[in-house]
Amino acid sequence: MPDRDDPLRFEYREGPDGLRLAVQPPPAGAGSCSATYVAPAGWSFDPAGADGCARAVNRLVTSAAGPYDRIALARLLDRTGATLTHEASPEAGEVTIWGPADAWRPLLRLLAEVIRRPRFDAPDVARVRRQMQELQLRELRQPGARAERELLRAIFPDGHPYRETGAGRPETLARLTRARLVAFHRQHYEARGALLVVTARAPRVEIEREIRARFATSTEPPATPPRTAVPSRGSRDHRIPLAGNSQVEVRVGGESIARSDPEFPAAFLANEVLGGRPLLARLFQRVREKDGLAYHASSELESMRWGGYWVAQAGTGADRYGRVLPELVEEVERIRTEPVGDGELNSIRESAIGEIPLSLESTAEAHELAVDAAYHGLPGDHWARWPARLRAIGPKEVRAAAERAYDAATQTTVLVGPIGRR
Amino acid sequence: MPPTGVTRPPTRRFALDNGLRVVLAPAAKSPTASVWVWYRVGSKNEWPGVTGASHWVEHMLFAGSPRYGKGDIDRAVVRVGGELNAFTSTDQTAYFITVPREHLSVPLDIESDRMVRALLTDGEVDRERTVIHSEREGAENWPEFRVEEELYQLAFRHHPYRWSVLGSRDDIEHLSPATLRAYYRRFYGPRNAVLVVAGGFDAGAVEQEVRTRFSPLPATGDDVTVTTVEPAARGERRSEISGPGTTPLVEVGWRTPALGEPGTAELVVLDILLGGETAFFSVGTGWRRTAEHPSSRLYRALVDPGIAVRASSDWRYGVCPGLFVVRAQAAARVPVERLEERLFGAVEALGRIGPSRAEIEEVRTKVRRGADLAYEGASRTGFRLGFFSSLRDLEFEDELLRTVLRVSPSQARDAARRWLGAESRAVVRYRPSPEAADA
Repeated sequence: MPDRDDPLRFEYREGPDGLRLAVQPPPAGAGSCSATYVAPAGWSFDPAGADGCARAVNRLVTSAAGPYDRIALARLLDRTGATLTHEASPEAGEVTIWGPADAWRPLLRLLAEVIRRPRFDAPDVARVRRQMQELQLRELRQPGARAERELLRAIFPDGHPYRETGAGRPETLARLTRARLVAFHRQHYEARGALLVVTARAPRVEIEREIRARFATSTEPPATPPRTAVPSRGSRDHRIPLAGNSQVEVRVGGESIARSDPEFPAAFLANEVLGGRPLLARLFQRVREKDGLAYHASSELESMRWGGYWVAQAGTGADRYGRVLPELVEEVERIRTEPVGDGELNSIRESAIGEIPLSLESTAEAHELAVDAAYHGLPGDHWARWPARLRAIGPKEVRAAAERAYDAATQTTVLVGPIGRR
Repeated sequence: MPPTGVTRPPTRRFALDNGLRVVLAPAAKSPTASVWVWYRVGSKNEWPGVTGASHWVEHMLFAGSPRYGKGDIDRAVVRVGGELNAFTSTDQTAYFITVPREHLSVPLDIESDRMVRALLTDGEVDRERTVIHSEREGAENWPEFRVEEELYQLAFRHHPYRWSVLGSRDDIEHLSPATLRAYYRRFYGPRNAVLVVAGGFDAGAVEQEVRTRFSPLPATGDDVTVTTVEPAARGERRSEISGPGTTPLVEVGWRTPALGEPGTAELVVLDILLGGETAFFSVGTGWRRTAEHPSSRLYRALVDPGIAVRASSDWRYGVCPGLFVVRAQAAARVPVERLEERLFGAVEALGRIGPSRAEIEEVRTKVRRGADLAYEGASRTGFRLGFFSSLRDLEFEDELLRTVLRVSPSQARDAARRWLGAESRAVVRYRPSPEAADA
C-alpha cells in the first residue's frame, strides 16, 4: 500500500465511463488543493482547414460555463479564492483549478461544469479570435516566438503533429464558427481516456464519489494523428532578419525520442548535462560563464507521447551570434559523441534528484509532478523511484541515448533578429 | 468578523549588533528551507554614469569571493538539489537559496560570506559586461520593455526612478570595475539587509548559527535614503515611439504617494478595480497571477468591446514616489488614438462616478482570499517576509490589509480624482514600425 500522505506516491482510480483518475495527497502543511483535467484536445487534432480550433476551445472552456457567463465565473472564482487556468500542446488540452484546501468539493464541481458545459458565448468567441490574431502576429514578429515556430517547421514535415504551434492562420481563424468549436469540444473534451488528476486532502472515497457524480465521458477517443517517419527535406539553415530588434535568437534543434522510450531517462540526463540543468550545464558554463557571450544559453528535450524534439538555444547580440552558434553546435556534437565524465554526471544527477523535495513546497508544484506522470501513464510511485532509476545510469548509456535523442539527420539551425540576409 | 491580519506563520525576530535584521519562520513539516537576503539597495541608489550598478552587483555576487571561487556558489547549492537566484528592483535587491532542509548550513554560509566579501575582480566584471548587455538586448526585443523605459523617463525627470534597473547602454559599456566595487562596498552590508530563513528547522539552533556566522561581519552599509524630490508635474507629458511589434500599445502613468503614505490603501483598491488584482494580496500560486480578469473595469471597457486584446493596471509602489500605471494593447486594426481614448475614459469614469458598493465588496473579497493563502511553502514565505520586512516591517502587512478593507466607495472615487487626473499623467504611445509588418 502506498503511503497515503506522500505526494510522490499517487494512486490511480477508475473514473466514470473510462475517465482515468489519479488522486494525490498534497504536501504536508499545504493550504491549497488542485485538480487538472487533460483531454486529447491538442492542436494536432485541429480539423482540416480549421487551424487554431483546439487552442481557441482550450481558452474558451475557461471563459464561461453552465449558468456562469465570463463575469459571473470570474466573480465566483474570486469569492472562492480560486484560479482557473488553461494550457494546450500539440497533443492535449489541459484545464487546472486551484484554490483553498477546504473548498475541494465546490472546486471539483466547478471544474466539471467548465469541462462539460462551456458556453461558447458569441462575445467570448470574438474576443478569443482577436487575441489569437495578435498571437499569430507575435509568432511572426517577436524573435523568440518566431525562432520556435521556424524551428518546428524546419524539423517536422508537412502533416506532422508537432509541426505547428496551434495559433492557426488568419483565414482559418476567420472561419471558426461556434458550431465548429462546440463540435470539437464534444469530440475531444468528452472523450474516453481523458485524465483527471486531483491533489486534495480529503478521503479518497469522497473524492471519487464527487467525481462519479459530476464527470462523464461519452465519445470515442480520437485517432492518433498520423506521423511520417520521413524527415523534412527543407533547408537546414534558416536566417530570418527582423530589423529593429536588439537581440538575435539562436536555435539549434532536431527530432527526438518519445517519453515512453526506454532510453528517455538516460536522454534526460544527457540534456541536463548539455543545457537543461540550471547553472551547472555545459552551455551555461561555456557560453555565459566562461565566454560571457549571452545572458541565456540552455537546452530542452521535449519528449512527448508520440515523439519529441530537442533544442539548444541562446539569445545574444548581433555582434556575437557568429561566436555563439558554433559553441552550441560543438556542445551538441560533444554530448553525442563523447562519454560524460563520472564526476560531471554524478554532480548533475544528484542535483536533479535533490530538487525533487523542492517540488513538494506547495500543492501546485507537487500537482504538476502527478499530472506529468499520469499523462504519460507512469506508475503512481514514478517520482519516488526516479532517483534510483537515474543512479543506475552510467556514462555509456548517456552517450548512447544522446546519439539517438539528439537526432543529427534533422539538425537545423535558426537565427532570428537583427542579422543580414544570406 | 473581519480578519485582523494576514494568515502568516509564526516568526522569531531579532537584530544583531552590526545592524542585520533577522526573521526566522520555522515550519516543522516543511521538507525544504529557504534563505533570503533582502538589501534595501536598488536602482534608486544609483546616479547618472553608474545606472545599472545594483543589477550588476547582483550578478557579481555569484562570481567569486576568497572563500567561494567563480561558480562555487552555484555548484555548492545545486549539488545538494537546491535552487538559487536573485533579482533587483528600484528599491531592493533580493537573493534566495532554497535547499532540502538538511542542507540549511550551505546557504547560510554563502550569504554570510558574500554580504561583505565578494571580490568583483576586474576580469570578472568585464566578462559580465557582455552578459548584462545581452540581458538588456533580450528585454529590448519586447515592445513592453521599451514602453516601460520611456514611461519612467517621462514621469520622472529628476528622481533616480527615471532610469531602468538594467541601466543605460552607455553606462553598461563604460562602468569601471573600480566604480562597481566602490558601489558594493558602500551600500551592501548588514545595516542595509534583512535575513529571512523559512522552512523546516529548529528556531533555536538556527538562531545560534545565524549569530555565529553573521555577528562577526562589520557594520557596513551607507544610508540608502534618497533625498531627491521630484517636482510636481505641471501638465500632461507625452511621448510616441515606434519599433518592432504586433499592434499599438498605450501606457499611462501617474505619480502617487510612496508605499505607506496616506493614500496607500486607496491606490491598492484602485489597482484592483481597474486591473483586477493587487500584487500584495493576489490569489494564486505566485506573487502575481497572469490570468485575465474579466470583471475588472479595464477589461470590460477595452477587451470586451474589441478595442484591446489585453488591458491591465499596476500600482508600482515605491519607497519614494510610486507610479500608478495602466496599459492596453490594441486589437488588430484598432488605431492607437481610439485605444488611448477608451483607456482614458475607463480611468476618468472611476473618478467621475466612483465604484459601486458591490464593486468594493468584490475588492474586499479578493483581498481577504489573497491574504488567506498568501503563505504556502518555504520559498514563498521567505519572499513575503523579506519583502515586507525590508520595505517596512511585518506589521505593515497587517496594517495594509486592515486599511484596504476599510476603503469606501467614495474614498476610492476621491482617490481616483486626486491621483489619476488628466493634468498629471504621462502617456506613451507605441506604434509597430512598418518594417515589422513586412517581416
